[in-house]
Amino acid sequence: MRINKFMKGVKSFASIYRRNKSGLLGLAILLFFIFTAIFAPILAPYDPYKRVDRPLIAPSQKYILGTNDIGQDIFSELIYGTRVSLTIGFMAAFFTVIIGTLIGVVSGFLGGVVDEVLMRFTDVVMILPSIPLMILLMALFGKQSFMIMILVLSIMGWTGTARLVRSSTLSIKERIYVEAARAIGAGDRHIITKHVLPNVSPLIMATMIYQVAGAMMAEAGLAFLGLGDPSHKSWGMILHYAETSGGWYANMGYPAWWWIIPPGLCVALTVASLVLIGQAMEEIINPRLRRR
Amino acid sequence: MAYIAKRTASRLITFIVVISLLFFLARSAGTDPFERYLSEDPRIPPEQIQRLRAKFGLDKPLHMQYLDFIRNTLRGEFGFSLYYKRPVFDVVMERLPYTLFLLGISITVSTIVSYVVGIYFAFKRGTRIDVWGTNICMFIRSTPHFWLGMILLLVFAYYIPIFPLFGALTPGVQHENTYEFIKDILFHYTLPLTTLIARQIGMYVLYMRNSTVEVLGEDYMVTAKAKGVSKRSIMFKHAARNAMLPMVTVTAIRLGFMVNGAILTETVFSLPGTGRLIYQAIMNDDFFLLQGAFFIIAITVLLANLVADILCAWLDPRIKI
Repeated sequence: MRINKFMKGVKSFASIYRRNKSGLLGLAILLFFIFTAIFAPILAPYDPYKRVDRPLIAPSQKYILGTNDIGQDIFSELIYGTRVSLTIGFMAAFFTVIIGTLIGVVSGFLGGVVDEVLMRFTDVVMILPSIPLMILLMALFGKQSFMIMILVLSIMGWTGTARLVRSSTLSIKERIYVEAARAIGAGDRHIITKHVLPNVSPLIMATMIYQVAGAMMAEAGLAFLGLGDPSHKSWGMILHYAETSGGWYANMGYPAWWWIIPPGLCVALTVASLVLIGQAMEEIINPRLRRR
Repeated sequence: MAYIAKRTASRLITFIVVISLLFFLARSAGTDPFERYLSEDPRIPPEQIQRLRAKFGLDKPLHMQYLDFIRNTLRGEFGFSLYYKRPVFDVVMERLPYTLFLLGISITVSTIVSYVVGIYFAFKRGTRIDVWGTNICMFIRSTPHFWLGMILLLVFAYYIPIFPLFGALTPGVQHENTYEFIKDILFHYTLPLTTLIARQIGMYVLYMRNSTVEVLGEDYMVTAKAKGVSKRSIMFKHAARNAMLPMVTVTAIRLGFMVNGAILTETVFSLPGTGRLIYQAIMNDDFFLLQGAFFIIAITVLLANLVADILCAWLDPRIKI
């Protein structure tokens, strides 16, 4: 019964989504990158952590995107980087959304002092510039690793979700069916799990997509500043190596455009595709937007 | 006045909360600075480390250390940079004007441009200009700051060598007068400013456009049209003013984002600002500098927010109630 209902929801969602051209484009781009990430070992011609040839070879048939300053194949780096960047983005977004939903629901449902304190705290985290704070947190944790990156991104990223979830919890709390549930003696836990959460979940899905974009962007920035995990090279880290070696514009008398253009383009395309998907989902959730 | 006092108090509390959080995080992470930097060196005997700990008050109980920490921070004593061998405060303050310059100009220009262009797109919604414009904005806002900067460098400093590759001033040049100095600085800052402004515009044109579109759907707009108000008047008196409010309220969050962008941009263009200082502090493992730079940036952002709050109250009299 419940599965049927769920499938029906998915079908009607898909039928509306199909009409949104830019949403479809976004989905296509994202699926392309996900596909690349999954099949990275098959698609990549070389090992991205091994030197394969002379440094800074321009793109050729043998090396589609040339080599970097220590002679690693950039095309392979890029393909494996897809894996790292997407994994960090999706995992960080997942934890972000969990933290945000928890804080948002608690704050909106309980109200009063708890709400006040939690929202003040949210404001604090929201206002402060996130990159320096994340750098400081990473410095405190003392070492650079894949998991710490995800942890730091999650610690800093939940504020938007918390606010959104709080405001929609507030409106759901006042609805008549919640009052009815209360009248027949339903407790807080029942109301939260059976009424509030199912009603905010579409919203949460849309925010999560935006969170993936935000986390990927933040990760690219941190990795560029040299805070990435050297054993998990992401797109941002390829650019970090390009920047620190200085090789991309000073070496060999010509700039290694093949080293810097592709990774940034990948970040931009992924983030843009996620935003397009997020917008399409928002339009479905909030029909008021659709008419325009 | 009461409003401003309340806001100031709340920003001060924010700041104290932040430094407290960081203090306890730092201590719970077990990074006693002397453990971290000296105990690895076998030439320093443990008694010497103990004496140093006592001298810097690290042998006191935690709550006393906390009070010391707050007192020092409020006095502007952020410790000593391990790399520059100078007080952190001095090092950061030397660099701050460059960052404020970058941020000030880009926030002003990008606000004005996104405001005008956003309203224009909203009025032209559905036309080719709107569709292309919003798509281009979408793409620009999806590019990382540092990458945009690198591409600008590649094109306008390398392939077409108009602008310098790095720095804020031409090295070794004595400027004859202030005018020459400003000219040199603006010349060096053209590409960095373009990077930051382009990113901001990409983001807020869309925001402004959508909030204007929302305003255009309001009943009072229909009324205005029905009673024969001219299109120009509708655009500027009704739509523009009301669509401005959401834009002003995001200023607080925007400032944080701008600082993020400035750090990345300054790193790419090798500008002598606070952002690049942070990058260097990471590279040199200079924790105190990192911490001090963060605190000073945080204070700056909070002050800027206070100014934004006051502006908000001035623009929207409803807030004062």
